[in-house]
Amino acid sequence: MTDYALRITRLSYTYPDGTKALEGIDLDVPPGERVAVVGPSGAGKSTLLLHLNGVLTGSGSVKIMGLNMEQSNLQQIRRYVGLLFQDPNDQLFCPTVFEDIAFGPLNLSVPEQEIPRRVEKALIDSGLDHSFRSRSSHHLSLGERRRVSLASVLAMEPAILGMDEPTSNLDPRNRRHLIKVISGLKATLIIATHDLELVLDVCSRTVLMDHGKIWADAETRSMLSNAALMEKHGLEVPLSLKSGVRSQ
Amino acid sequence: MRHNFIDRYAALDSPLHILEPRSKLLAFSALIIAVLCIPVNRGSLFFVYFFATAILMGISQVPLAFIMGRTLVILPFIVLASLAVPWKGYLGLGILFVRAILCLMLLILLTNTTRFVELLRGLRKLGCPQILVMNLGFLYRYLFVLTEEAMRMKQARDCRRVGRAPFRTELKILSSMLGTLLIRSFERAERMHYAMLSRGYSGDFPVVSPRKYSWHDLALLSGVTVFVIVTVLMV
Repeated sequence: MTDYALRITRLSYTYPDGTKALEGIDLDVPPGERVAVVGPSGAGKSTLLLHLNGVLTGSGSVKIMGLNMEQSNLQQIRRYVGLLFQDPNDQLFCPTVFEDIAFGPLNLSVPEQEIPRRVEKALIDSGLDHSFRSRSSHHLSLGERRRVSLASVLAMEPAILGMDEPTSNLDPRNRRHLIKVISGLKATLIIATHDLELVLDVCSRTVLMDHGKIWADAETRSMLSNAALMEKHGLEVPLSLKSGVRSQ
Repeated sequence: MRHNFIDRYAALDSPLHILEPRSKLLAFSALIIAVLCIPVNRGSLFFVYFFATAILMGISQVPLAFIMGRTLVILPFIVLASLAVPWKGYLGLGILFVRAILCLMLLILLTNTTRFVELLRGLRKLGCPQILVMNLGFLYRYLFVLTEEAMRMKQARDCRRVGRAPFRTELKILSSMLGTLLIRSFERAERMHYAMLSRGYSGDFPVVSPRKYSWHDLALLSGVTVFVIVTVLMV
């Protein structure tokens, strides 16, 4: 019944101020695949992510695990799709880490006695430990906040996880750590990012967006080593591919 | 940067700190209402209340200097407020001051013996509307984000400014900074709302609760009740 975790057909979206953000996007993603969405700033990557769970709705069709994007399916779709926002300050709005992570599961009516276990598991899966539970997110470093944000999404046990610039502004150690955490996830991943080394590490397939359209959709390594294509869309071949640091 | 304007000492472990937030909310509200109701001609009662507050402060282990400092910070607002009430002589003004200071001390004591999160939970359990409690929670969470944003903006301004511009220009810069801050907050609120929707938010803000009632709560509540009744009888 559901061959695709995610199926987008002819999706277009125009912001209220008239800016065309998406124009005729087609994208099919089978379950378990890890897809990178790359492209210059303003290409529509974040806007596309916001369509995955119906926060924004454009014209065209979006199907999640076989469910059509419509009001009656919204609650179920948000159960399937978790979104990781770029700025943890947007994502973490509760006074303590525990409450932030518990927010999603409680909304999904997970029984109250199961909540602590969920929170615990999400913390561990995000590379954090027990001691974070009672801390306030404004006392955490950016790296920690990013991981708590991830935990707040993982606690909902999503089948599809959309991430907006997960590694931006992180120092190398925190970045490595997060990449390791992401690589260990079982969900279908859609990662919008400028971090092409992350893409090479994690994603088998890459989609190139520019001006609200998809220009290429191919195997990661072959696309990222296509210098002409990359430069045409304001990107560049990652250093590790150029210098041959990465072996096959 | 220090991040605890509101509940700096709330993490202590005094007999007052370990109480259930609801009983503290009730007890402190009772005391504040009593302070507001003391008639002007029974001025000596204020001393009794000062004494009671002092005892609570002693129990709470919150440094006296901190409470005094905080009270002083808010004092200008009281002065401002006193301009708005009809003139009732120096005695009237004095009483107004004493009342305000007592209430402030009690409030500062309450917020510094109860973590803000628990205070919110207590309010919720006492039947305070969800939407109000939720917004107080956001206030607490984003106060820090907002202050940081304002500070960064101020730094950016200071970096590009040499000497002082004429007063009018300064004012203009300040107002456009405030405007920018407002727009940024507005945009953040929108992104936050997206984040909430993404995690299944549908209008009800769920919470899980830990602290339980104990005999301490009973002690505080009955103590305060007896105290208020006795002082009322003294009138």
